[in-house]
Amino acid sequence: MTTTEARQRLLLYRGPIDDVDPQFQEALVHAKSDPELGQWLREQTECYDTIRAKLRGIEPPLGLAEKIVRRRPIPFPRDWSRIVQLAAAILISASVTALLMKWSERRHRPVAGAQEIIVTGEVLDMTCYIASNLSGPEHAECAKVCIRNGEPAGIKAQDGKVYLLTGEPGQSINTQLAEHAAQVVTIKGKKSVRDGFAQLQVEEIRKL
Amino acid sequence: MSADPEFENLVQLYYRDLYRFGLSLTGSEADACDLTQETFYIWANKRHQLKNPAKVKAWLFTTLHRQFLQARRHETRFKDEPIDEASAEFLTMSADCVNRIDARVLLSFLGQLDETHRAPLVLYYLEDLSYNEIAETLAVPLGTVQSRIARAKIKLLQLLNETIPPK
Repeated sequence: MTTTEARQRLLLYRGPIDDVDPQFQEALVHAKSDPELGQWLREQTECYDTIRAKLRGIEPPLGLAEKIVRRRPIPFPRDWSRIVQLAAAILISASVTALLMKWSERRHRPVAGAQEIIVTGEVLDMTCYIASNLSGPEHAECAKVCIRNGEPAGIKAQDGKVYLLTGEPGQSINTQLAEHAAQVVTIKGKKSVRDGFAQLQVEEIRKL
Repeated sequence: MSADPEFENLVQLYYRDLYRFGLSLTGSEADACDLTQETFYIWANKRHQLKNPAKVKAWLFTTLHRQFLQARRHETRFKDEPIDEASAEFLTMSADCVNRIDARVLLSFLGQLDETHRAPLVLYYLEDLSYNEIAETLAVPLGTVQSRIARAKIKLLQLLNETIPPK
């Protein structure tokens, strides 16, 4: 192998990562016996390390990982046996629901009326809170954007209970709530509970 | 607490590397973010198709590269000028000189390379992948990938030399 051939071969040599690659072995041996080639090789690998460090020093924008995780799609399983199981479960569930509705019609049980309450706590962006447990001042900016864009808002009371916040039926209250995102406020409203899920229809918001 | 810890762990492990790869390919932060996000979402929907979990990193890079190529399919492509391979042996640059160059300038030089040369060169610099793995990631024969890396590296060093003449 001539020095020129060795140099052309070593143009791709990166350092220890390529030591096990047999294509460089002969050229590396040559570089050990040729001081000029050895010096060129050192400069090449130092140059490689510097360019690599420059490129690896580039950091992604803040919050990119959180954004990716927050907006991840929910994959649909394509396992046919599971799809059949799911379809059967839906069929059974629909039948049971129909039976229960019939039974319920017979009983005419009244639904509990709304109760006016006052809750003090942090205004939450429910999407990020439930999916990723994000809340507090460090999440304030994201919560503000999410609520303003129509994501559901909630309030976490001091006793730890979380209420979904809504406006009057057919009216959004997200614009007002976005201004208080991640802040502690007192909200007066009508509480309704269904299937264990609590909702507060906002009548008044007071900032602490 | 996460609804999908596997997804979250994968994002934390690879989003930086994928973002840098995307940025080096596109030269645009917004495009790099989009490519990174899209890559993870494709994985989320197709993870069951990945037979060998040990190859997830190569799979992510392959997917990002495919997304990039698809996006560029309809755009005008500029070929770089022919490279004088004979000049390769004279090309060298001290690490100190390269150190004085801003990372953004380096990215703009990468952007001047042809797409088929840029991707292997970026993987060569950024990732600890063997040449076989780079070839597999880009679905290109080993010899072709090495030749493209060599040509792209010479071109990059030429551009760097034009910016900062060596001592």
